[in-house]
Amino acid sequence: MASQSPGVFRQYRWKELGLFIIPFLIFLVEMVQLFLATQDTQSSLSVNNLPTIQGLIPVFGLIGVLLAANILFSIFFRKADQVLFPLVGLLSGLGVLMATRLGPDIKIDSLGTQQLVWVMLGIAICCGVMFLMRDTLWLARYKYTWAVVSFLVLLPSVISGLLSIRSGAPTRDILNFGPLHIQPSELLKISIVIFFAGYLNETRDVLTEAHLRIGILKLPPLRQLGPLVLMLTLSLIIFLVVRELGLAMLIYGLFLSMTYLANGKLTYVVASLAVFVLLGFVGYGLFSYVRGRFATVSIDVLHWTQASDELYQNSALQVVQGLIAVASGGILGSGLGLGAPSYVPVVESDMVFTAFCEELGLAGVFAVIGIYLFIIYRGYRIAIEATEPFNQLLAAGLTTIFAIQTLIISAGNLKLMPLTGIPLPFLSYGGSSILANYIIIGVLLRISYNSRVAREGLS
Amino acid sequence: MLPIDAFLLILRLLFLVLLYLFLMQVVIAITRDLRKAASTNEDAGQAAAVLGHLVVVDSGPSNLLPGTRFDLAPLTTIGRGPTNVIRLDDPSISAENTRLSYRNRTWYVQDAGSRNGTFVNNQQAREAIPAKTGDIVRVGYIQFKLTQ
Repeated sequence: MASQSPGVFRQYRWKELGLFIIPFLIFLVEMVQLFLATQDTQSSLSVNNLPTIQGLIPVFGLIGVLLAANILFSIFFRKADQVLFPLVGLLSGLGVLMATRLGPDIKIDSLGTQQLVWVMLGIAICCGVMFLMRDTLWLARYKYTWAVVSFLVLLPSVISGLLSIRSGAPTRDILNFGPLHIQPSELLKISIVIFFAGYLNETRDVLTEAHLRIGILKLPPLRQLGPLVLMLTLSLIIFLVVRELGLAMLIYGLFLSMTYLANGKLTYVVASLAVFVLLGFVGYGLFSYVRGRFATVSIDVLHWTQASDELYQNSALQVVQGLIAVASGGILGSGLGLGAPSYVPVVESDMVFTAFCEELGLAGVFAVIGIYLFIIYRGYRIAIEATEPFNQLLAAGLTTIFAIQTLIISAGNLKLMPLTGIPLPFLSYGGSSILANYIIIGVLLRISYNSRVAREGLS
Repeated sequence: MLPIDAFLLILRLLFLVLLYLFLMQVVIAITRDLRKAASTNEDAGQAAAVLGHLVVVDSGPSNLLPGTRFDLAPLTTIGRGPTNVIRLDDPSISAENTRLSYRNRTWYVQDAGSRNGTFVNNQQAREAIPAKTGDIVRVGYIQFKLTQ
């Protein structure tokens, strides 16, 4: 084989394959651990106690799909980034293992299998995106279509939000199509980034040369300002009508970072931050649920009083239980399958960070955060290396989604910020989120492939 | 025999060690990438003796002088906007009009979605098409000759 086609041999994505070896070992180790954790831990180890090949089939399935993606990329997209996919693969593998472990505890036995199926579908979609998006620039041509898509996607949530506006309680943006529960916000974040990238790329010159002057603020002409205001309205609608705090923060954060990336003007950032603080006060005054979440942040777990007990009964139960889980993990963690993370409500999706803290410990969670950092670093690197300005903005924006989401939800879990329900990328259980994240990875890989081909040619 | 909980402790530690080994491997891969990128950049810097020129042949409606020479970078954009490598301040030129890229010792000319189009020897360049020395590249209504 090797003598017949040395070119193919040399052109294989060895680096990616090499980076996959340790994640595969980790999957096997953790699956064995998970299996043994359900046994009587006092008995001694014998061959009978070890998981059979059948018990390891899910892990082998995941390994097979990742290897298949590696081979596929080697054949068709040899020049795409080689570090990103192993990082994402390891994270989603950990997510599958955690779902497998949490399933029996929250009385959904098939949780791990479902998550595995979603991850496999996600990888397939990632490959599909890479094949279909030959040129990313057509996305920019239809940018207003994407803006309309964003509004349409949000429409059902707005209607249900309007219907329940008197209650003031937060809604969850879930659409039910028969057995499928779709979270439209996951699609929304992608379409909004495409719109922002296309729009900012076209108007970046205009936005830098300010024309309207309002006091000390210099603003661009109204025609160019329109779409920006529209998007801010969208995030305001999410905040006030849909009452989905996390999503509103995500979109506002995306808007801020992308305008700054596009024109590098601090005035926009400062002005938008001021508006953000103002909106925060408005929300605090209007909605009891926002007040509840801020009160939760102020709860003192160490000096427990009557007041904190009331708070605990009302709204802080989830966060306090999460903190207890995090604390009981210690430095090395209890080990996968040996903790008790299911005391935390919604531990499988929003609060999955606490489950990782408890079972992998501080050391494990630091490593997980390190993996996120590398993913984000790699995404921005792809953005820097992209040849087209639109692709640069698109890659940077899509990477920013991961950054902001991870920040908001892990800070919320650790009581550093009001808790809002958005999934932790790749680790939380949930089909929509896994699929959307893999679409993002597909776009990033395609951009890195396109820019390297544009630089060096195909050979 | 080893009791299971002792074995589980070993697995746990093994897991953490593997996790950090993976992070180390990623760091090594990334630094290697950066070194490679730095060295290729240096090579490119040494070889940056200009790869070619565009010489104005017919200035069309613009106030360019025929014979004006523009240096070409490996990735050259032509347009009216301030971010272009070659900036042509003329109403017939779009903000970003044309893209020239140098790959495998050949120039490729591609239109960047302009209003008045880009042509290589009167052939419209919607997709990247190769151009050799001496070819006429028309950007909007301005004609250039590609030279060494």
